[in-house]
Amino acid sequence: MERRTDIGPPHYTKFLPPVIQKNYGKWKYHEGVRPGVMVHVAESGDKLYTIRAASPRLLSVQKIRQYCDLADKYCDGYLRFTSRNNVEFLTTKEENIEPLIAELEAMGHPVGGVGRAISNIVHTQGWIHCHSAATDASGIVKSVMDDLIDYFTGKKEVPGKLRIALACCLNMCGAVHCSDIAILGIHRRPPKVMPNLAQMCEIPNVVAACPTAAIRPAKVDGKDTVEIIEEQCMYCANCFSVCPALPMADAELDGVSIWVGGKVSNARSQPMFSKLAVPYLPNNPPRWPEVGQTVRKIVEIWVEHAEPDERLGEMIQRMGWPRFFRLAGIQFSKEHIDDYRYAALSLKRTAQVHQA
Amino acid sequence: MAEMTVEQLADAMYEMIKEAKGMKKYKATDLQKAMAERFGADKQTCKQAIRLLMDSGRCIYTYFGGSYIEIPPDQPPAP
Amino acid sequence: MAEGKKYVTPKLDELEKGPWPSFVKEIKAAAQKSPMAAALLGQLEQSYDEKIGHWKHGGIVGVVGYGGGVIGRYSDLGDKYPEVAHFHTIRINQPAGWFYTTEALRGLCDIWEEHGSGLTNMHGSTGDIIFLGTTTDQLEKVFSKLTALGFDLGGSGSDVRTPSCCNGMARCEWACYDTMKVCYNLTMAFQDEIHRPAFPYKFKMKMAGCPNDCVAAIARADLSIIGTWKDEIQQDDEMIKKFADEGLDIQRQIVSRCPTRCMDWDGKKLTINNENCVKCMFCINSMPRALAPGKERGAMVLLGAKAPIVQGAQLSSVLIPFIDLEDEESWNDLKQLLENIWEVWCEEGKNRERVGEFALRVGFGNFLEAIGLEPRPEMVAYPRDNPYVFYQTAKKE
Repeated sequence: MERRTDIGPPHYTKFLPPVIQKNYGKWKYHEGVRPGVMVHVAESGDKLYTIRAASPRLLSVQKIRQYCDLADKYCDGYLRFTSRNNVEFLTTKEENIEPLIAELEAMGHPVGGVGRAISNIVHTQGWIHCHSAATDASGIVKSVMDDLIDYFTGKKEVPGKLRIALACCLNMCGAVHCSDIAILGIHRRPPKVMPNLAQMCEIPNVVAACPTAAIRPAKVDGKDTVEIIEEQCMYCANCFSVCPALPMADAELDGVSIWVGGKVSNARSQPMFSKLAVPYLPNNPPRWPEVGQTVRKIVEIWVEHAEPDERLGEMIQRMGWPRFFRLAGIQFSKEHIDDYRYAALSLKRTAQVHQA
Repeated sequence: MAEMTVEQLADAMYEMIKEAKGMKKYKATDLQKAMAERFGADKQTCKQAIRLLMDSGRCIYTYFGGSYIEIPPDQPPAP
Repeated sequence: MAEGKKYVTPKLDELEKGPWPSFVKEIKAAAQKSPMAAALLGQLEQSYDEKIGHWKHGGIVGVVGYGGGVIGRYSDLGDKYPEVAHFHTIRINQPAGWFYTTEALRGLCDIWEEHGSGLTNMHGSTGDIIFLGTTTDQLEKVFSKLTALGFDLGGSGSDVRTPSCCNGMARCEWACYDTMKVCYNLTMAFQDEIHRPAFPYKFKMKMAGCPNDCVAAIARADLSIIGTWKDEIQQDDEMIKKFADEGLDIQRQIVSRCPTRCMDWDGKKLTINNENCVKCMFCINSMPRALAPGKERGAMVLLGAKAPIVQGAQLSSVLIPFIDLEDEESWNDLKQLLENIWEVWCEEGKNRERVGEFALRVGFGNFLEAIGLEPRPEMVAYPRDNPYVFYQTAKKE
């Protein structure tokens, strides 16, 4: 058979249910039916029900086939996945909703995450598959979502949307930097210089990789290598990304930081970066209880204090950071004050201050 | 300067990669810029030359915090 | 494949409990058939014991001719877990909007059960279907079967990463342009750029149908295309009144929280001063059926978002305030703009410098000039407030 290249993905129209093909671009409105279920109504009057179920993102082919069995049984063979890695079943038959949910829940996949709810945690690979992970991803996500399950399923009400994301290092494959709550793996010691560095890496590239000029060329026993000016290292690990002879990971010092108040939507306020709340929590597998407790505490503050549809970052802007830190019981420390490129912008340059 | 064919450009790129082997790794943009400087080669022809090197197996893409073009290891150099 | 060696995994077993679906159960399910998945459990349990990862990165593996789509991955405990000594990732370009038929999904499953660990991500952070874990000798076989099924690899390394989009007009009344069409067309137009890395670093593209930005385009894509509109918000006064009658405090919950205070509510009628509206979506989100985006719809093109590595995180900023994306001409304009951006960035960009960092390093004004765009006030939050201006007149004299 001739080798085919550059064919691209299949055309999406092959995968759209007939009701979508018919009403493409002609949807009129949508609304929640019950937690985890919404209906889209077209100008034609056609209705499409979406049932959204939790997924661990890491799926075996066996599980995908089980999803397919359900989609064949209830959805004429159509399903999709969401940008937060949930699975969605699409059907025009209202009577299919109940039995589908029953089967999903029996399979261990709760239904929820639509509208005012806490949806799935967008996350990275962690120790399952990543070379630069400072923490695991799936284990923390599983533990945090086990704890927050009632906010996903709608058993407990929330004021609006709250997006949690996890990245297992500063590379942020999960781009957590604009999330309501971000869980970020961190290193806290400078790279070790392996003796064979010059055989594995080009020294000028390694030196250029450091944003704070903490790496300089050196000779050790007459051999070319690099040295690290340790006090200048901010543990970004960019050098390790270009050179494996500079390992960063450390079983005792690596851990997790917690960031809050980011968003990407433009509704009301503009998109915002997440800000540092807790500089360090230890890696404590298998369930990372310190991370879970911290996230839960922040969620509870938001549930109690936010106005309808107010995002966590908007709420904190309204109430002020001093009050947020006080409510959360987090000690404000030197690490909370920025000292990188745009540091000055983050200082309070007004007499308008929320007195805590 | 006479117009370089795709094959000639590929050979010139290959030589450049071979000479730097073990010292410097080149990216596609490095090769393009060098060919433009030395032979006035245009981007499209350079692209075709790189594709020729890849499809023939004389070169491979490698990646380490970015993508490079190198000669595959443990193989005799191409004719 | 035979069942793999069984490892004792007390820490991971703990993560089979609880109401959220368990990734450990997924790995164990795959391990029923795949020794690789079984060994993954063993290595992961060791990571949980030691609190450290055991993977090495980088490499040379791929399918012939492509530089993107396969990521070499190796265990640093290969002697102890030989089945995952080589455990490469394959990225497969997802269908736009992540819609599937069960037939297509089953086809993907069959390939991966035969040639890999049977473990996937649906989906990866950029949007691809991820096949987790196989060996070098399987790569061409997987590729050949994937293309027979109509699928192709996605991007990795210094190339155009697999574009992704929200479900747009397929299932959302707020889509201001056809995200799936634009995503698919860009993907097809730039197959070479996706598969054969030729840039200083990665280049991501995401399409969101409206300013709610469900795919986080403004935070996660070097090129972000976000739907918007030009004319007036469509309003249905009957439906608005219905919301009020049902108890929505329109003054407090909607009007007073509008970011530009562009609306008034007199208790009976909502009046919107559309000239001051910035199209944030808040009022529209809050009153479905009563309010809707305008009729003159299109998109905004923004550039430069990225995570912190290395100069700090950036959000995308406006390049084109409004483009229609329906007619041939605006489609060609968009493609030409991308070619111009890549040309300048490839010429002057440093190794591992994202385009957003590059544009700031050379000066955003200079960058605009180089890619052939006129400066416009929509591109800035405010004009410069520092007086160190590189006046062009003085330099030309």
